[in-house]
Amino acid sequence: MNSAFKKMMCRFLAVALITLPFQTGQASMISTDQVSSAATVQANRSLVLNHLNRAQTVSEFQALGLDAQQARDRVAAMTDEEVGNLAGQINAVPAGGDGLVALILVVFFIWYFAFRR
Amino acid sequence: MPRRRHRSRALVSPRRPAWEQGARLVAGVLLLLAGLGGCASLVPQTMALREAWPAGVARSSENTTVPFFPQQDYQCGPAALATVLVAGGVDLSPDDLVKSVYLPARQGSLQVEMLAAPRRYGRVSYPLAPRFDALLQEVAAGNPVVVLQDTGVGPLVNWHYAVVVGFDYPAGELYLRSGETRRLALPFTVFEYTWKRGGYWAMVALPPERIPVSADPAGYLAAVAAMERVAAPQAALLAYASALRRWPDNATAGIGLANRQYAQGALAQAEATLRQTLALHPDAVPVLNNLAQVLSDLGRNDEALALLDRALRVDAGPFAAAVRETQALVRQRMGRSR
Repeated sequence: MNSAFKKMMCRFLAVALITLPFQTGQASMISTDQVSSAATVQANRSLVLNHLNRAQTVSEFQALGLDAQQARDRVAAMTDEEVGNLAGQINAVPAGGDGLVALILVVFFIWYFAFRR
Repeated sequence: MPRRRHRSRALVSPRRPAWEQGARLVAGVLLLLAGLGGCASLVPQTMALREAWPAGVARSSENTTVPFFPQQDYQCGPAALATVLVAGGVDLSPDDLVKSVYLPARQGSLQVEMLAAPRRYGRVSYPLAPRFDALLQEVAAGNPVVVLQDTGVGPLVNWHYAVVVGFDYPAGELYLRSGETRRLALPFTVFEYTWKRGGYWAMVALPPERIPVSADPAGYLAAVAAMERVAAPQAALLAYASALRRWPDNATAGIGLANRQYAQGALAQAEATLRQTLALHPDAVPVLNNLAQVLSDLGRNDEALALLDRALRVDAGPFAAAVRETQALVRQRMGRSR
């Protein structure tokens, strides 16, 4: 992590600690999220980590050419787990793009000379 | 198993005669390699299909109503996603999805974003189990499936999204909306070879009232919870209701539906849902707690307290704090009303 990122992160955390609703209060209903993730204690512990991962992923998206709003919207649509897996990995995971289906000869030969199914 | 020698129209290159000489050599080498390593390691799932076709799945099926959006530039991600979303009744074009799934610097789209984007349109993104049987089940049910292929070879990597819309096992072909081809026919072997390198990744994005046939309850409910974060509340409500119809004894589906009903202010409905769930899971602490909250909101604090006592008698586990909080709230309300 470079120092600009660290600085950004510290500012984010300071604001987050003050303003973010760490205890989401919808009366006293136990949320569906809490029920599906049985490890509630674990979930609380990783709350801060989630915010970190989200902030990091947003800034990585921006570095890849998205504007700030787009980057935030995209990360918002991901689950904590998804963001956790993506953070720091954006340049390592597959990005499907090329559609010129250059199905290479070797693959063709498998089918042509051996079998189709 | 007879070895077929059909030519695939989509694959025959105009230069075919030129490389046919070399082809026999390469094929010889390949067959040798296949013999050494075993075909099974090259396309293991296709080999497994020869032994056992998935139970209850038709041998051939094709959903011809799935639309086709020829991809532009590197944007097979938006095109593939638009294909399945429009097939599921969302009104949009690939251009609308570029801003949510295309990454200019990577000239492509990430899997996680392919899953995330449909949620905004109230569609449940469900990653399939990495197996042919799950893929074939969905396609046979008429659900178009987005797949990630690596159409490169050896060290060359070329990630590509396409949509499987049908297959014909006797002919040995799968049919895809792919790139600029409306109906690309790929042999099972070739398809598996390209599909394998992305870890057999596949997803569906379906309307909330339509659960993937291959879905498992925990995975599906996690997918609904993921959608709930960003979609219209009504979509999540529909999805939980469908899940409860499909898996009537699933407690999470019942809690999810009741939470949506509660959020909408439909307290009587929430109570009915929770009572049904409670009948099947008498010791489920979240159900006891949430039902107590609903009853308290309905002004029935005595009943609520009785339920909370019941919740505290069983081991409340991670929900103990929540139950005590509810208890305090109910007592406070009772104190006020006296």
